[in-house]
Amino acid sequence: MSDLAITGLLILSLFLILGSGVWIGLTLSGVAWIGMQLFSSRPAGDAMAVTIWGSASSWTLTALPLFIWMGEILFRTRLSQDMFKGLAPWVQALPGRLLHTNVVGCTIFAAVSGSSAATCATIGKMTLPELARRGYPEHMVVGTLAGASTLGLLIPPSITMIVYGVAAEVSISQLFIAGVLPGILLASLFSGYIMLWSLRHPQQVPAADMRMSFMQKLSASRSLIPVVLLITSVLGSIYTGLVTATEAAAVGVVGALVLSSVQGSMNWGTFKQSLMGATRLYCMIALIMAGAAFLTLSMGYIGLPRHLAQWIASLGMNQAQLIAALALFFIVLGCFLDGISMVVLTMGVLMPTVQSAGIDPIWFGIFIVLVVEMAQITPPIGFNLFVLQGMTGRELPWIARVALPMFLLMCVAVVLIYLFPGIVTWLPQQMSAR
Amino acid sequence: MRRLLNGLYDGAAALAALFMVCLLGMVLLSIISRQLQFHVPGTDAYAGYLMAATGFLALAHTLKRGEHIRVTLLLHALPGRMQRAFELWALAIATLLALLFALYSCKLAWQSHVFADISTGNDATPLWIPHMSMALGSVILAIAFLDELVLEVMGKRAPAHRDAALHSE
Amino acid sequence: QTKWDLAAAYPATNFHSENMAQLASDVDKATGGKLKITVHANATLFKAPEIKRAVQGGQVQMGEILLANFQNEWPLFGVDSLPFLASDYEAAKKLHAAQKPFLEKKLAEQGMLLLYAVAWPPQGIGTKKPLASAADLKGIKWRTYSPATARLAQLLGAQPVTVQAAELSQALATGVVEATVTSGSTGVDSKLYEHLKYYHDTQAWLPKNAVLVNKQAFDALDSTLQQALLKAGADAQARGWAGSIEVNTDSVAKLKAHGMEIVAPPPAALMADLTRAGQTMLKEWLDKAGPEGKALIEAYRR
Ligand code: NA
Ligand code: NA
Repeated sequence: MSDLAITGLLILSLFLILGSGVWIGLTLSGVAWIGMQLFSSRPAGDAMAVTIWGSASSWTLTALPLFIWMGEILFRTRLSQDMFKGLAPWVQALPGRLLHTNVVGCTIFAAVSGSSAATCATIGKMTLPELARRGYPEHMVVGTLAGASTLGLLIPPSITMIVYGVAAEVSISQLFIAGVLPGILLASLFSGYIMLWSLRHPQQVPAADMRMSFMQKLSASRSLIPVVLLITSVLGSIYTGLVTATEAAAVGVVGALVLSSVQGSMNWGTFKQSLMGATRLYCMIALIMAGAAFLTLSMGYIGLPRHLAQWIASLGMNQAQLIAALALFFIVLGCFLDGISMVVLTMGVLMPTVQSAGIDPIWFGIFIVLVVEMAQITPPIGFNLFVLQGMTGRELPWIARVALPMFLLMCVAVVLIYLFPGIVTWLPQQMSAR
Repeated sequence: MRRLLNGLYDGAAALAALFMVCLLGMVLLSIISRQLQFHVPGTDAYAGYLMAATGFLALAHTLKRGEHIRVTLLLHALPGRMQRAFELWALAIATLLALLFALYSCKLAWQSHVFADISTGNDATPLWIPHMSMALGSVILAIAFLDELVLEVMGKRAPAHRDAALHSE
Repeated sequence: QTKWDLAAAYPATNFHSENMAQLASDVDKATGGKLKITVHANATLFKAPEIKRAVQGGQVQMGEILLANFQNEWPLFGVDSLPFLASDYEAAKKLHAAQKPFLEKKLAEQGMLLLYAVAWPPQGIGTKKPLASAADLKGIKWRTYSPATARLAQLLGAQPVTVQAAELSQALATGVVEATVTSGSTGVDSKLYEHLKYYHDTQAWLPKNAVLVNKQAFDALDSTLQQALLKAGADAQARGWAGSIEVNTDSVAKLKAHGMEIVAPPPAALMADLTRAGQTMLKEWLDKAGPEGKALIEAYRR
C-alpha cells in the first residue's frame, strides 16, 4: 500500500474514532493499533505496553505532575488572588488590561518550566477563574493563554530544545540562550495582539478599577511578594546549581505549600483538594500521553514521517524553499503528532539536508521549537488544547478556533526570524565570543 | 455492587494521590542527599515509578468524574435517539481499547516476572513490581468502562458530575 | 522480501550507528534486497533500557545495547566496565574473546544471538579542576549513570549524583555535577568542553555495544540470508573496532581543540588510587558473579 493511502486511512480512522466521542487518549491508541497491525510486520500489543510504560515512568517528565500540583495549590489558596491584586494596577493602563497577565505570567513561568502543558496548567489555574470573574471575554482569555503557554518551550529551560540538541548534536546551552530573544519577541507579539484587539473592541474589555497614585500602586504591589518569592526561589535553585531543571518542580510545590501555610490559606481540606485535583488533571494528560507515545512508536514502525522527510530532502531545494517546505511539513505533521515525537522521528533524516543547505543548526533549532509550539495548539492533536479543555470544559474545536490568532502570530515569528536571523544568533554569538 | 465498584475506583485514586506525595518526597530526597553528601541509589528511577503509579491508578476515578476529555461536538449535535446509539458505540470502542490495554499491561508485568527483567539503573528493581501499577490501573479502568457501558445500556448512566474549573470551584 | 527493524539508542551520527547503517546496506547488497534492515537510531522506536527486552520479546528483530547497562541482571554483562581490568584496545579485544562464549550462552537461553560487539573509546575523567590524586575528588559531585559508576565514585570519595544524559549539559553549567567519567567521543557529543576544563585520559575501561538478533526471527530466514547476515556482522565488528580507535584519537584531539586541557598521562597518584578502586570493584564483582565470573577472568588472564 502506498504511503499516501496509509496516511489517508489513518487520518480517516483518527477523525472517525475521535469524532464519535471516544476519549482522546484511547483514540490515539486505537489509531496506533490499526496502523501497526495493518502496516507493520510486528504485533502491536506487547510493543504498546513497553512503550507506554517507558513514557509514563520517564524521570524527565516528573516535573509535569509536580508543577500541576503547584498550580492547584496556588489556585486554591490566596496566592493567585494576591498576584492579581499586585499586578492589576500596573497593567490597567494598557489596552487589554488584565489579559496581559496571561502573557506576563506564562513568560515568567516559562523560565521555570520546560514544558508547555505545565505552563498552561499552572498559569491557567490562576488566570482563568480570576479573569472570568472580572468579566473578560472567554475567547480572548483562553486563546491568549493557549498561545502564551507554548512559550514554555521557547524560553529556557526547554525539553524540546534538549531533545533537538541531542538529536542534532547542537550545544544545548547555546540553544537555551538562543531562545531568549525569540521568546521575548513572541511574547511581545501576543501582547501587541491583545492591545490591537482591545482597541478595536473597547466595549468588551471590562472597565479599569479606580485610578491609583504611584504610591498606591507600589503599595498594592506588596501582594506580589509571595509569588515573586516563589518564582525566585525556583529559578534561584536552578541557577545556583542546587537542583536540576526537573527537580525544580519539587521546590515549587514545597514553596507553594510553605507560602500558603504562612498566609494561613492552607488547611487539610485545601491540601486534599489540591492533591486530588492535581492527580486527576495529571492522570487525564497521562492517558493522552500514553496514547501519543504508542502512536509515535507506530509511526516509527510504519515510517511515514521518515518517508515524508526523505522525500522533502530529495527535492534538492534552495534554502528559502527548503525552510518554507519544512515549515509546511511540520505544521501538517504537528496537527497529528506531539512536538517531541516530530523532532525525534524526523531529525535523523532531515539534519544532513539542513546542514548541506547551509542552515545554521542553532537557528534551525529555534525554528523547530517555534513549529513545535504551533503543534501544541493545532487540532486535532494539540496538548495545550487538551489541557485547556480539561480546565474549561469547552469543546476542542472552539478552543482551537480561539487559539488561531496565536497560531498566526507564531507564523509571523517564523517569518521574522527568517528575515532577521540575528534575533536568534546574536546572543549565542556573544556568549561564544566571550 | 455499586458501592463496591465506587470504593474500588476511589480507593485506587487515593492510592494514586499517596504516590504523588511519595513522588514529591523522592525528588526532595534526591536534592537533599546531594546537598548533605549521602547517596540514595536510584531516586530518579523510583520517582519515575511513582509518577507512573500516580497516573495509572487514578484512571478510573478520573473517568467517573468525567475529567478524561473527548470530543462530543458531533454527539451533542445529534437528535436524542441517535445520540444514545453513538454514545453506546463510543463506549463500546473505548471499552474494547481499555480491555486491550489492560490485557497487555498484565502481560507486561507477567513477562517481566518470567524474564526476570530488572531495572538497568542504580535502583536495580525487579520491574514486575512497578509494572503492577500499570496492570492494576488499566484493569480498573477497563472495569470502569464496562461499568459505564452496562449503565448506558440499562439507561441508568448519570451524566458525569464534573466540576468545570472555571465556574463552580 | 523480508523487512527487519533494528532498534538503537544513540544518535544517527554516532560511529556505532553509522556502522549499523553500513551493515544494513551490506546485507541489502549481499542478499540482492531480499533482507531489508531499517536502522531506527536515536531511540526512535525503543529507549536504551527497553531494547534488549524488545529483541527478546520479538518486537524488533535486531537491537543494539550497551552490554554493561544490563549488569544488574547478570554481572557478566558488565565485565567490560571494571576499571583497569582491560584498559586498551588489545586487552579489550582479549576480554571480549573471553566474555563471548558466556555471552552467547546467556543470550541463547534468552532467545537471542550475538551478531557482533564493538568497544567504545576508553573512559577518562572530565573535571573543573585538575586532579592530582583521588583526594581531590573528595565531596565532588560526580555524575553516575550505572551502579558501577556510582560504586567507583563512592570508592574514590566523590559524591555520586544521578543525572540523565538529557540534563547533563545544564547540570554541568550550573554545578549540579562537577565531574563525569566518559569516553572522549561521548565527551565531544555532549560538549563537555563547554563547562569542564580538564580531561584526564585515564583509559579506565572500554565498554561495548552489542548488536543482538532475535533467534526465532533468525531461524525463520533461509540459510543464504543467514550467512549474509553473519558475514556482514563479522565485517561490522572488524570495521567497528578500527573505527573506535580512530574516533578515540579524533575526539581527544577535538576536546583539546575546543580548549580542554588533556591530562595524559594522568598523575601517578591518581592512577594508583583508581587502580586500587578497580581492584576492589573486581573483588566485589567476582563475589557477585560466582564461578562463571571466575572462569571468565581466568580465561582472560590465560
Ligand atoms: Na521553559
Ligand atoms: Na497539533
